[in-house]
Amino acid sequence: MTVVDPAARARAAGQDAPARRPGPPAVDQQAGGSAGPRHPDASKRPRSKRPAGPEHPTARRRDRAPLWLLSPAGLVMTVVTAAPIVLLVGISFTDFDQRSLFTGAFSFVGLEQYATVFADPDFWLALARTVVFTAVMVAGSVLVGMGVAHLMTLLRPGMRYLVTVVLICAWAMPNVASSLVWNWLFQPGYGVVNWLLTQVRVFGDLTDVAWSQHPVLAATSIWALIVWQAVPFIALTLYAAQVQIPTEYYEAARLDGASEWRVYRSITLVFLRPTLGLITILSIIWDYNVFNQIWLVSQGGPDQATTTLGIFTYKTAFVGFELGAGSAISVVTTLILLVLTAVYIRSLVRSGEDL
Amino acid sequence: MSAAADTTPPVAARRRRRTARGRRVIPNLVAIVFCAVWIFPVYWMVNTAFKPRSEILTATPIFFPQHPSIDNFIVAITQTGFLTDLRNSLIVVTGTVLLSIVLGFFAAAALSRFRFRGRRAVLVAILAVQMLPGTALLIPTFLMFNSLNLLGTFAGLVLAYVAAVLPFSIWVMRGFFVAIPAEIEEAARIDGAGTWAVLLRIWFPLVGPGVIATSIFAFIAAWNDYLVAYTFMKDQAMYTLPVWLASFTTPTTGTDFGGQMAGSVLFSLPVIVFFLLIQRNLVTGLSAGAVKG
Repeated sequence: MTVVDPAARARAAGQDAPARRPGPPAVDQQAGGSAGPRHPDASKRPRSKRPAGPEHPTARRRDRAPLWLLSPAGLVMTVVTAAPIVLLVGISFTDFDQRSLFTGAFSFVGLEQYATVFADPDFWLALARTVVFTAVMVAGSVLVGMGVAHLMTLLRPGMRYLVTVVLICAWAMPNVASSLVWNWLFQPGYGVVNWLLTQVRVFGDLTDVAWSQHPVLAATSIWALIVWQAVPFIALTLYAAQVQIPTEYYEAARLDGASEWRVYRSITLVFLRPTLGLITILSIIWDYNVFNQIWLVSQGGPDQATTTLGIFTYKTAFVGFELGAGSAISVVTTLILLVLTAVYIRSLVRSGEDL
Repeated sequence: MSAAADTTPPVAARRRRRTARGRRVIPNLVAIVFCAVWIFPVYWMVNTAFKPRSEILTATPIFFPQHPSIDNFIVAITQTGFLTDLRNSLIVVTGTVLLSIVLGFFAAAALSRFRFRGRRAVLVAILAVQMLPGTALLIPTFLMFNSLNLLGTFAGLVLAYVAAVLPFSIWVMRGFFVAIPAEIEEAARIDGAGTWAVLLRIWFPLVGPGVIATSIFAFIAAWNDYLVAYTFMKDQAMYTLPVWLASFTTPTTGTDFGGQMAGSVLFSLPVIVFFLLIQRNLVTGLSAGAVKG
């Protein structure tokens, strides 16, 4: 029963994957377009493949079917997503705090929470940290991911399989578990990372360094954790896209005497651009939202050094129980994210996604 | 090697051969270094889990357990409520998977097999909702569940997870729906099939891989989530495994790294094994699925 159009299926499997860290991409051909069309021309692909056009019989006859099909999911989304968003904005105009949780009493304070948030240097510091963190995390994971993807194309199948298995192990590890492993790796006194760095004999004796107690070191170890987790998805997706590039282009370029670097720049990168764009935007969104890893490794410390917007919001709302202020921060955070999401959706549509 | 020099263009031949060999040696070396670095945290978790206490806290790390033991696993399983929390996790995971398949399947059918006003808007909303920061929705959901008495209940947790997973489920299954040719359904209708029959006997099997991808994604999301469970479940008997694992540290005795790593192995193993098993089918099914979080 091969009624399923492979192109649409690959699209479904790969590119339709805006979820957290989408899935294992693709160790084989079909997922080629994991995060974008495999070919720059794909966006010009004729749209006739849509089976459910307006001429579809069900569209005319049973107009009420979509309504009841959609309503259960719609109900859940309304209750657990739409209502909370409205509520969030509402709470941000109140002084809801721990006392209100018990008494139910709170009052509207208008834009006061926003005024307080914008006047709070800690908010601006958290925002700046978030931007810098996100930038270095995305840069690190995309660059390493590209490198690994390219490396995989140069390997023989056996070695490539090994790399794939390693990537999948790192990828599959739940982030709570990997955060705890990180704590153990970077443990002062007994941590293997300190021991290794001491053995290198460049930095002196680092045995007792407490990474989570030092602003830059805490940030560095979290950065390493995020990059370690993010590379598998990026590498496998880019690899899948890279093997879709027609070999004729490479042959022609090599015949013309192009250097390997030139070939990579003029052919590989050009073909990878749409995929790379989507991956980068998704990575920005994900890394901007990172919470667990920071919380479990450093709790935002030492002295706020790793307090990003997510951590800042959480501390305000659930440690200090200032839910009004937390909501105001969340609204601002979400608005910033909305801009990124718009860019993401636009590039999805551009890459040939039918909406 | 020298033989090659005798035949036609010697320099070119030698260069070609050297690059051919170089193309293998250097990438292989880089690949080995990469694999060693990337697998190391996983290895270190397993290694520590099997070490007796005396081999864990050593100034010079022990790279292979001298006296491997499963004591850490026994401690993790028997002394810390692991089994209760495993049961809790399974309840929540099952609920999330079932609900997100059913709701997602219906919604995806509506959004792909029918044309109606507002369809595009719904699709864009679905995409946008997915990107919302978890910490932002946490506050209002917490307050809502607080007044609905859903805080600290499995139902509340499942509801929160379904909301998180649903957009993705709809999106993935829609992709499979779009690929089903209209003729199949027309033929079935001519044979007298009603909407339910088309839905369950024609569409459901054809969307199968999407259903599987959705279940995997929902499973992983509910299995891995820490933030929501940590915030909503204050009663220790209601913890799920990630919260259990993160609270493994007891301030009084210091961190029991052996037990913690054994716990991490137990918690990660199902997911890792699963990923490795489906590795070849990642494309059709999961390709979109895993979680980053």
